[in-house]
Amino acid sequence: MSKVGVIGTGNFGLALANLLAINKKQVLIFARREEIAEKLNKTREHKGQIINERVTASNDLEFIAKECKLLFPIVPSNNFESLLNQLSPFLTPEHILIHGTKGLHITADINEVKHLDKSQVLTMSELILKNTCVERVGCIAGPNLAKELAAEEIAGTVIASRYNDVIKEGKKALNSPVFNVYGSNEIKGVEIASILKNYIAIASGMLEGMGYGDNSKALLITRGMAEMVFFGKAFGASEKAFMGLAGIGDLMATCNSKLSRNFRVGYNLAKGIKVDETLNEIKEVAEGIKTIKVVKLLKSYGFNSPLADALYKIVYEDWDITKGLEYLMSLPVSDDIDFIK
Amino acid sequence: MPHVIENMEDWPIYRSYNNNEEFLEKVKDKVLQHLSWLNLGEENTFRKELKNIVYQEKIRLSKTPWKSDDPKEKIFWNEIKRQFKSVKDIDNKGDAEEFDLEILNKILDFYGKEMVANFKPSTFRFAQKALPYIYSRLINSFPQALYKIFSSTDMLYDRMKISGDLDHLRKLENMGTLIVVPTHYSNLDSPTIGLSLNNIGLSGFTYGAGINLFTIKSLSNFMHNIGAYKVDRRRKHKLYLETLKSYSTVALTEGVNSLFYPGGSRSQSGMLEEKLKLGLLGTALDAQRINLQDGNKKKIFIIPVTLNYHYVLEAKKLIENHLKNEGKEDYLEDENATPFGLIKRTYKVITSNPGMTVSFAPALDVFGNKVDEEGESISKIGNKVDIADYFKLNGSIIRDVQRDQQYTQILGERILKEFKENTVVLSSNLVAYVAFQIIRKRFNQFTVFETLSLPKDETIVSGIEFKIVLDRIRDRLKVLEEDKKIILSSDLNLPTEELMNVGIKKVGSSHPTYVLRKNKNGVISTRSMKLLYYYHNKLSSYGLDEYI
Repeated sequence: MSKVGVIGTGNFGLALANLLAINKKQVLIFARREEIAEKLNKTREHKGQIINERVTASNDLEFIAKECKLLFPIVPSNNFESLLNQLSPFLTPEHILIHGTKGLHITADINEVKHLDKSQVLTMSELILKNTCVERVGCIAGPNLAKELAAEEIAGTVIASRYNDVIKEGKKALNSPVFNVYGSNEIKGVEIASILKNYIAIASGMLEGMGYGDNSKALLITRGMAEMVFFGKAFGASEKAFMGLAGIGDLMATCNSKLSRNFRVGYNLAKGIKVDETLNEIKEVAEGIKTIKVVKLLKSYGFNSPLADALYKIVYEDWDITKGLEYLMSLPVSDDIDFIK
Repeated sequence: MPHVIENMEDWPIYRSYNNNEEFLEKVKDKVLQHLSWLNLGEENTFRKELKNIVYQEKIRLSKTPWKSDDPKEKIFWNEIKRQFKSVKDIDNKGDAEEFDLEILNKILDFYGKEMVANFKPSTFRFAQKALPYIYSRLINSFPQALYKIFSSTDMLYDRMKISGDLDHLRKLENMGTLIVVPTHYSNLDSPTIGLSLNNIGLSGFTYGAGINLFTIKSLSNFMHNIGAYKVDRRRKHKLYLETLKSYSTVALTEGVNSLFYPGGSRSQSGMLEEKLKLGLLGTALDAQRINLQDGNKKKIFIIPVTLNYHYVLEAKKLIENHLKNEGKEDYLEDENATPFGLIKRTYKVITSNPGMTVSFAPALDVFGNKVDEEGESISKIGNKVDIADYFKLNGSIIRDVQRDQQYTQILGERILKEFKENTVVLSSNLVAYVAFQIIRKRFNQFTVFETLSLPKDETIVSGIEFKIVLDRIRDRLKVLEEDKKIILSSDLNLPTEELMNVGIKKVGSSHPTYVLRKNKNGVISTRSMKLLYYYHNKLSSYGLDEYI
């Protein structure tokens, strides 16, 4: 039986490797640094997670690509392209890549430009298609907080791909009594949902940090989903994906959990702690911060995104959160269900 | 150029069709192998599916009869219907299934015999040799001056430019099977392409031709014997479509070069294809997988071709259909479909198209990758790939219909890209684009329809304005050409005045009403905004409007 590869030793990558391993798969996990690979193999522990004995770490991408035809790249969006450039020479069209990165790749410097063109914004699956010869690409998304996965709590996820064999192989590798894997052909929608939910989690953290209760949060989540659908439609996704695990499912989890990095960024902001301080503390990337800016730079496409607009003012223009909230609540409201025709 | 495979008896098209019984058995086996066309459920039994097919066939014959319909066909379907009535008494399930299968076999035999093409070297040679004679006879009805100019097929080829890496195509013929996929503007595309392929020296191509073209017996025999198989577009049911696809797949696995129009019907608007029909294209994937599974090293190569005309015979009818938003190609029988009529019209198109170009794009594999000199696939990131890997799952080549549908879509997208990048801009396209866009911009608050109905006085363009815009668009086209996004014909290097004059003279030159004319004061006018719009549309997908 061929092995399965996981690329990236972040919390989600490690949790995924363990889920594959408990499913009787031999797993190779790629660590960028040799000493981390060695430590992981030796101590069977990393970032507070116990590593299953069927998981072997390596920092040799060529070896991993040769041994594993099914690969799960799980690295932050900022590092994704450089990873692909290293991995690409070892890939063939037989490989299947299912990524778990909830971010966008931008081909322009977002700190320099005033506007982004659609062609400058790529999801990770689009980046894989652009930078490798692999065609069979998928993504994994859903309410999958890494720490809960690591504790083997019951959870579900969605694997999306235009190819049914990608979904089938992903399911075969991951489906277990504690982890239900659903399938979808709406990859664009699933990717967009899993990316946009990050900034909605930031807003949710803010509300919690300000002491607001469940009514406020429910309003945020519902209108947040509407905003995700508006954006998705403007970028060629159907609304279907937003109703599933990667949409409403992931929103429910990340908007209610202090385990979510994005939620913590928002929560700390409400408590007066700057974004950079929080990121330094958690030592991981909060993709939502970048997404807020990207959404702002794409506004010429005419979608409705009041939440992202308000967050932009708070995060990038140093608006007071209360002022941001007042701005949001002062906007005219439309029909309840205005995002599905 | 001489034929790559010199002896016609060695051509795959000859070998396959010479033994067409064996060929048709393979087609039938393929349909029976997967039965993917069957949509069985609790309510829908095999028998019901078959009865439904018979019902649809009988409806077709009574509601949309064509002259080309074989009188024996009605008898065939009545006989099948009679057999269904007589079978009611069969109780045994096994016997009933055997009966149904027998009926299916009969239907497939019927379709196969109707569809199958032939290839007679003698007919092919006759076509090659007779052309100069037929043309010279035709020319007698043309002015004497024309006769002198175009008195042989060599001259014909002089007027028809064939561009692309033709040596590579010839080389690929020895390495695999070729599928030529042209853009489609006119019923005369097939003879034009046929002449081009023959000129390059490729072996015979098989292609599906509408059954309505087989009305006249002599033409029917002629087409049949040079590799045309019959396609009845009235039949939409899955069994027939599956039989057609199987036919194409078997032809490809047998190594027979094929020609598909991936856009389906002719472009009614004159625009480049924006969407392709993927049914037949999918057979390329299927055939490639079968070849690999059978250990047959022959690779299947896709050759996109753009046809670039100054004049399209049916332009007026097509654009009017397009504007009426009828959308569908009408399948009325063509009363002019005689061998003589067809040749005459082909000749008219070619002689009215000095400088028309048949542009062969670089060859692709069935996944849309370019192929190198040796036929090896080069992926979009520039590395060599083994195409078997695309079909593999856990180390083995697997048949997976859904996966291959996705691959076919990708292939379709790559073909569209090649169409766009290998379109040759003729002087006529450019002047039509410039004239129409100047008028359109003048009335930019109008819809296209309103623009098309403008009074004649409002559609006049001054020579000065025309030349300024012409230069601007030409400059932009040159940038696009440098980026390999389009190809410019040599006319586009002419000085502005000359380019304008040549383009105006050539655009739609054989229509009864002129498309563009320049008077002695240098003012440019049109007699048909619709035709102008049609010829302008060729360049409408290159984002040139912002340079007007």
